[in-house]
Amino acid sequence: MKQKNNIFLMLTSIIIAIMLIPLIDIIGELLSKPSENWEHIKEYLLLDYISDTILVTIPSMILALIIGVSLAWFISVYDFPFRNLLKWGLILPLAIPPYIGAYTYSGIVSYTGFIQTFLRNTLNIEANPKFFDIFSINGSVFIFTIFLYPYIYMIVRSYISNNSASIIENARLLGEKGTGIFFRIFLPISRGAIVAGTSLVMLEILSDYGVVSYFGVQTFSSAIFSSWFNFSDTNSAVRLSGILLLVVFIIITFEKLLRGNKNFSQTNSKIRQIKRKQLGSKSSFFVYFFGLTVFFLGFILPVGQLIYWAFLSYKDVLNIDFLKLIFNSIFIAIVSTIFIVIASLIIGNSTRLSKKMTSKLYSKITLMGYSIPGAIISITVILFFVDLDNILNFFIKHIGIQNINFTFSLSIYMLIFGYFIRFLGVGYQAVESGYEKNGKKFYEASKILGKNDVKTFFLIDIPMLKNAIIASFALVFVDIIKELPLALILRPFNFNTLSTKVFNYANDEMIIEASIPSLFIIFVTIIVIIFLNNMGRKKKKNVYENK
Amino acid sequence: MYMKINDLYFKYENSAVDNLKNINIEIDKGEIIGVLGESGCGKSTLLRIIAGLEIPYKGKIIINDKIIFNKKIFIEPEKRGIGMVFQDYALFPHMNIDKNITFGLKNFSRKEKREILDNMIELVGLKDHLGKYPYQLSGGQQQRVAVARALAPNPSILLLDEPFSNLDSHLKDQIRMDMKEILNKSKTTCIFVTHDKEDVLSLSSRIIIISDGVIKDDYSVEKMVDII
Repeated sequence: MKQKNNIFLMLTSIIIAIMLIPLIDIIGELLSKPSENWEHIKEYLLLDYISDTILVTIPSMILALIIGVSLAWFISVYDFPFRNLLKWGLILPLAIPPYIGAYTYSGIVSYTGFIQTFLRNTLNIEANPKFFDIFSINGSVFIFTIFLYPYIYMIVRSYISNNSASIIENARLLGEKGTGIFFRIFLPISRGAIVAGTSLVMLEILSDYGVVSYFGVQTFSSAIFSSWFNFSDTNSAVRLSGILLLVVFIIITFEKLLRGNKNFSQTNSKIRQIKRKQLGSKSSFFVYFFGLTVFFLGFILPVGQLIYWAFLSYKDVLNIDFLKLIFNSIFIAIVSTIFIVIASLIIGNSTRLSKKMTSKLYSKITLMGYSIPGAIISITVILFFVDLDNILNFFIKHIGIQNINFTFSLSIYMLIFGYFIRFLGVGYQAVESGYEKNGKKFYEASKILGKNDVKTFFLIDIPMLKNAIIASFALVFVDIIKELPLALILRPFNFNTLSTKVFNYANDEMIIEASIPSLFIIFVTIIVIIFLNNMGRKKKKNVYENK
Repeated sequence: MYMKINDLYFKYENSAVDNLKNINIEIDKGEIIGVLGESGCGKSTLLRIIAGLEIPYKGKIIINDKIIFNKKIFIEPEKRGIGMVFQDYALFPHMNIDKNITFGLKNFSRKEKREILDNMIELVGLKDHLGKYPYQLSGGQQQRVAVARALAPNPSILLLDEPFSNLDSHLKDQIRMDMKEILNKSKTTCIFVTHDKEDVLSLSSRIIIISDGVIKDDYSVEKMVDII
């Protein structure tokens, strides 16, 4: 429906402007004269950054792809003992942020750790320590693979389970067997979902700082941090960010080209599940062993280790400071999430109602934030807040007020703003799918019954978007609780969250003490995963969808 | 003349040709007009234009001597005082039928709202269903709630978009009769669009036939019976 003055479009324009203004700073910095350090980086280090980034990203991506796709295939198409346990268990590694996985595994595979001690004391095998050297590119690849494959597994499984029943059943009727169906039917039809999941893994790896900095791998993210922190060289950090940003845009464009116009959110209400085939006993054993191994390495072993460490360290860690950490994390996550969900609702409403190109562009810009690595957002936000302080202070001095000095760049607002840019896309996606599902008919009915846009928004849209709002809130909340790079750079002095505390403990060689905050993060994430899963199931019975 | 549409032209943004061309209609107060046409001929678009949900690029619409649309004036849908029943009813699923029916009532006391609700419930015969949610009602009952909701604010015109298309064939005859009775009792001017001749014959006093966005015929229901 066309409108004269759309207040939501106006608000959306303001939100988008707020998101984009910091980028202007980074462009200005890119156009300025390079620092001396940059020449050194270009000459001696840049090649290493590029090669380390590629050596970590590409193998992790390929391995996560193989594990994620094959498990999605087995779980969707076959029946075997304990399939249901694995179906949900294989998602759980997603609850462990890779940096926590990295710290935990460094303890597990160390000389005094569980694995080497077991080999030495129980099996009498003295393993070559080189084999367990996790502080390496190979170690990073292992960590990223085992903790990020669920992105691919979840997207492909959901797509294939809900969209391919008749195609796979037809292929079976036409005489095609397991491997034939996998290569000739399953892979081609789920290509888009595979590309979407793999791109997500790639972006997560490019954005990571916790794993690579701990393992001493020089990827772009760690190089940006090192230029910023160790050399106080803003210019080089921005230049490295510029290169990384370019790579991210190439990936996104490439992903869009490969994926085509396919949409992987489930909108079809008539979902028919695949009739699963019973596997023979040998194949069942193989699939179960494979799935269980992945589940064991990705969840049971690290969580078991963390629980064990928690028993050793709880007396030292569980104190008033720990409660303060929880409060800080929850407080900052709730405040940021509220801003993000409100902005998502406003942007979602305006893009739904306006057919203009600008609103489509707004939608794309909103989603863009999640693709930008945390290190880049951090730098952008810092530069923006420093400029903001300078402008405000110049202005108030100019009008004669001398006793006020703005220092937003040292405040918690900077961190909230960073989270806002980074996770607005996550919140928006959940809200947008809710808007899409409801369509415009209720909005139009309300308008005809005399309610304006704002009243319709509060009386009709928000109550009807309840599930989407809850999902949006939960997804953003948990992402913020887990997030490390932004919190590390943008937090105010002496302000710690659970994730920064885990990072500090690990870097101070206090991995055992890091276990309790790590477990808390994992626990919150699991609760949210279970909650969202239950909500998804209940949704099918929801009164809103009975019509 | 109660309602007048003059020289109306409309084109969707992505359409190469006009979706409605040279539409001229005059309607007397209390008339029940059936707009008949094939799918995609532009009949639902015409209703949406009258409701203010789409904006034509040319033409004029007057209701009760008040211009609601011309080159300079565009009255927003919420200010037109028109009632509309959507094809799939669009009942608000999070509100019970009482709240759905009273949703459009502005500037009424609680007591007045209750009275209007009782009248509407009486009119559409759903006394035993007060307090229920839309999902607890059958298709026919939902349609009656949608009609009651549209009539409650006492609209100048009631628009019905394919009012019987979502109903099972064995229910249609009964519901057509019920609807006719409701419309006669309420004495509201009504325009409804359909692709089903039976709907038009059973409900309307006048028929407008649209094809490819143009009015092809406009005659009384008696004449249509003769033609058939």
